[in-house]
Amino acid sequence: MTQLTVENLTVTYGANTTRELVACENIDLTIKEGEFVTIIGPSGCGKSTLLHTMGGLIAPTKGRIRFDGADVTKPNPRDAAFVFQDYSLFPWKSVEENAGMGLRFAGASKAESIREAKAQLEFVGLKDFGGRYPRELSGGMQQRVAIARALALQPKMLLMDEPFGALDEQTRRNLGTELSRILGEAGQAVVMITHSLDEAIFWADRIVVMSARPGRIAEEITVSAPRPREMEFMTTPEFQDIRVHLFEQLEIHQREAAERASAATVV
Amino acid sequence: MTDTIARSGWRVHKRRATIWALRAGLAVVVIGAWLYANTIGGVSPLILPSIPAVIEAFVGVVVDPEIWMQAGVTVFEMLAGFALAAVTGLSAGFLLSRSSVFARAAEPLLAWGYMFPLALLYPLFLLWVGVGVESKILYAALGAFFPIAFNTIRGLRSVDKKYLEVGRAYAASRLQIDLNIKLGAARPLILAGLRIGSSIVTIYVVLAELLGSNQGLGHEIERASSRLQIPDSYATVTLLILVTVVLQRIMERFLRAKHE
Repeated sequence: MTQLTVENLTVTYGANTTRELVACENIDLTIKEGEFVTIIGPSGCGKSTLLHTMGGLIAPTKGRIRFDGADVTKPNPRDAAFVFQDYSLFPWKSVEENAGMGLRFAGASKAESIREAKAQLEFVGLKDFGGRYPRELSGGMQQRVAIARALALQPKMLLMDEPFGALDEQTRRNLGTELSRILGEAGQAVVMITHSLDEAIFWADRIVVMSARPGRIAEEITVSAPRPREMEFMTTPEFQDIRVHLFEQLEIHQREAAERASAATVV
Repeated sequence: MTDTIARSGWRVHKRRATIWALRAGLAVVVIGAWLYANTIGGVSPLILPSIPAVIEAFVGVVVDPEIWMQAGVTVFEMLAGFALAAVTGLSAGFLLSRSSVFARAAEPLLAWGYMFPLALLYPLFLLWVGVGVESKILYAALGAFFPIAFNTIRGLRSVDKKYLEVGRAYAASRLQIDLNIKLGAARPLILAGLRIGSSIVTIYVVLAELLGSNQGLGHEIERASSRLQIPDSYATVTLLILVTVVLQRIMERFLRAKHE
């Protein structure tokens, strides 16, 4: 069942000014229930803009976003909850309060939000850290708190903007395999932006490849191996073939972007 | 590993000992200079009374219930001035921060008010409100108002965008954003403003009492000096310092940010 549809979406920053910037153009995309979609593309291709627009944080310049058939005009975390790259935990609140913050904003009582936060923290493996403060946790743990905060609302979909971008390779990989199990159990649809080829393939049911600015969808690749996957999946021919293909595609888009940039400076 | 910890612990110890030795050294120098001035230096006891005379006067002062009444007046002025400045400064800062036009207009004015030597205005305060406790409270509150209001605006308006984006993404209401995000993020700066305010209040109250008053420790100092009871005046200054330091410490304790 289709859950979220992006129809003919164009987002332009500073429309009708001299500094007009088309972030993404003519994008059509559908996300099905429970589907895991990764978005990959050269930097500055409008991936984040697309994700933010899907969640109602940015208004479309043209086109529309629909969630379960209804137009998305503002964020609704019960439908689609965000997980940001820099975790964005509140340093003045405890881990428990942070994890319950989404629920608090949605109108839950303090007691109720803490109870749910505790359950979610246990789910992401941070049972004993509820009373700590974010700065006492490692980056990977902080990101798990941010994920608990999103999951506490029991959203139908998670929108993750390079959630592991700030982590080192080893932590990324460990957290990745663990979260792929966790998110598999939670059953949400997930849209995740990433810069990492391995991540894009490892997690995804479908990979969306975007071209350089203005961002358009260049290709969609289906990954057929069942989820959740084990680390060994990375050694299979399917993984390797997709990886080679993605690598070439991104090279091409990156080069095009560079050529266009240098052409623009000559003019 | 444990060896390095032990060694670094020992180093910290050593450093702390050095710091205390330096402080003790400073005290010795001050007392030495005092003794020198009293004896060989030949400084008049009207300018610098001898240490025993000051100690004797101090004992006399602290056993006098009257002086504690006066100290009570001073402490009351400080607390009332601070409370007034905190209430007005916090509310002004909060209300002004809600509109970017008002905030941009107010920020330089508040910064300017903070820099301005308000002591120049004290004679006007005496004219307007008289020599009673009211003029001390209002004057101290005025001085402390500026840093409190300024820091409150600054804190509320410089909240990191990423926190506000979380609020938007999780559909928080404006009140929830104010209470749960802006206030939390601005807390360290607001508390810093209150701490600056609390020290300004103590300075301004004492200054105002010295410049013109009929009650309070400053008034007692002024009276002792004008009657040339110099040891009493030194003793009262000492008491004033002790009272102020204690009050400052207590206020500081309440105004510390916990988790930053």
